[in-house]
Amino acid sequence: MASAKLKFHTQISAPEKPSSGRKVTIVGAGQVGMSIAFCFVNQSITSELALVDVMEDKLKGELMDLQHGLAFVHNVKICSGSDYALSADSKLCIVTAGAELREGESRLDLVQRNTEILKDIIPKLVQHSPDTILLIVSDPVDLLTYVAWKLSGLPKERVIGSGTNVDSARFRFLLSERFKVAPNSIHGWIIGEHGDTSVPVWSGVDVAGVRLRDLNPAAGAESDTENWNDIHKQVVQSAYEIIRLKGHTSWAMAASVATLTTAILKNTRNVHAVSTAVEGIHGVQHPVFLSVPCVLGESGITDIIQQTLTEDERSQFQKSAATLNEVQSNLVF
Amino acid sequence: MAATETKLRKEIQTPVSHSGSKVTIVGAGQVGMVVAFSIITQNIASELTLLGVTEDKLKGEMMDLQHGLSFVSNIRITAGTDYALSAGSKLCILSAGARQREGESRLDLVQRNADIFKGVIPQLVQHSPDTILLVVSNPVDLLTYVAWKLSGLPKERVIGSGTNVDSSRFRFLLSERFNVAPISIHGWIIGEHGDSSVPVWSGVNVAGVRLRDLYPAAGTAADMESWNDIHRQVVQSAYEIIRLKGYTSWAIGLSVSVLAMAILKNTRNVFAVSTFVQGTHGIEHPVFLSVPCVLGENGIIHIIRQTLTEDELDQLQNSAATLNKIQSNLIF
Repeated sequence: MASAKLKFHTQISAPEKPSSGRKVTIVGAGQVGMSIAFCFVNQSITSELALVDVMEDKLKGELMDLQHGLAFVHNVKICSGSDYALSADSKLCIVTAGAELREGESRLDLVQRNTEILKDIIPKLVQHSPDTILLIVSDPVDLLTYVAWKLSGLPKERVIGSGTNVDSARFRFLLSERFKVAPNSIHGWIIGEHGDTSVPVWSGVDVAGVRLRDLNPAAGAESDTENWNDIHKQVVQSAYEIIRLKGHTSWAMAASVATLTTAILKNTRNVHAVSTAVEGIHGVQHPVFLSVPCVLGESGITDIIQQTLTEDERSQFQKSAATLNEVQSNLVF
Repeated sequence: MAATETKLRKEIQTPVSHSGSKVTIVGAGQVGMVVAFSIITQNIASELTLLGVTEDKLKGEMMDLQHGLSFVSNIRITAGTDYALSAGSKLCILSAGARQREGESRLDLVQRNADIFKGVIPQLVQHSPDTILLVVSNPVDLLTYVAWKLSGLPKERVIGSGTNVDSSRFRFLLSERFNVAPISIHGWIIGEHGDSSVPVWSGVNVAGVRLRDLYPAAGTAADMESWNDIHRQVVQSAYEIIRLKGYTSWAIGLSVSVLAMAILKNTRNVFAVSTFVQGTHGIEHPVFLSVPCVLGENGIIHIIRQTLTEDELDQLQNSAATLNKIQSNLIF
């Protein structure tokens, strides 16, 4: 070690513990994974980050590029590589790895391809971090959260899917364009499948406690002459549309996952629509994962918020569950 | 407007059409988009416009950014190819232009990007006559000069991102040797954002303790501890990252967003940015190079006068001469 350094430091105590207790691992250094990593650095969400993927050169370049920005932010210890030992002692492991949705492909088509990938990833993550929480982002997220749960042996409250958190954000943005108030002043939830059959809970949409349905009882229903349901259609089409226009989605998903990460690491008990085990919820009889509003904290999901759904909303939710269950039963583990 | 929206809100007055802290980013490539995302997640501006040449890509990026807004403070985002969208911008960030290719030096890019600027700069100034221009496109020092010439703006309002990111790389690499946070290590790289940048070793310190006081030869030809390797790594960084991942984005994007923050919020922070340095450090040519500058709402307010060694002064003056030669051959 250079002599200048020795003269400069008087050591008071042993160097830092191997892990900060808030370490996060991101598996998959693609567009979504790296955008999430950048959020963490930019917003000081964690002080310890591991990036794991198979492409060593790309990972190294990404690592250097992130590190070169550290003089502007709070320090983050970042490591990267293809060895899962790097992920040891993670409080949270975020899985973004997997094949991307192709233009025109539905999320359900991806499922077996990504199940194979998870068979390699999940057991290694749990081996190196037995107390971790898993946050699954890879699509189709509801099915893959189920797969991750099965492969991990972890209790269900510690296996979470990013689910409809981002759909709800898209919903709130599109509502904000009509109401001309800020998106985070509009409250609205999309639950169920993160995909074509997601369920907009129109009965709960409100601004400052004033419900849309009190102003227009037909909002979102078949008889709606104001076409509020176009908003839900746009949410469902969003990812396909953005992929068509720019090739992939990244920013909204990263902001969504960063928000979920903050809630977990800081034990905030914020409520977010995330994918969890919903057997017994809203009359669902199958062992599937779907999004409902959940309270998030350091131990994972602590509560599910029980929304009052209309007959139609319940029925849609149950249909999604049945579809997912059918696909699940045909998966090869 | 449908009846329901009007039932919800009682109008008190019309909203403003252009808020005070609007930023335009020209170029929705890797760097421009990281700057955009960072500005949004750091709540730096109230309005953001993305300008570029590809309508579809711009629209897709705009939608993707907008879809994250419920997680952050609201910001109005527009995007397109029409420069009228940029009207009323407090700050215009130029990230458009051809990228360095693997192995290509920044100086090789210059005429290609000067030609692009001829189409961009006058339009920006036309729509936002009071704006500040922040040039990121490479080679940044030359292109900041080009932007200044094309804009007709006073020199304090035409800034190049310069060696802000080089200094950040420098501090990170120093932090690995000193094992303290990068933000706690102070060190400046000035001059050309490129192969001939100048590390000011005399100023490198932690908590006021200078590296040169502990080891006087640090960074000199007599250095037995190889501190100069760090500067070589900084110079090679961009080439290395481009080789590994195809382009650089995170560090430069973040480095530009912190400059935007300082300008929009009038913080008077000091950053190494590219400015007009004729008359500074014995430079005789009308060139732009990076020195530590105080940044505020009206652009560059002060240049911090560092005490440089003979050798550091020589290096800067040589850079200036090289840039001047290239500048004189540019076709405007």
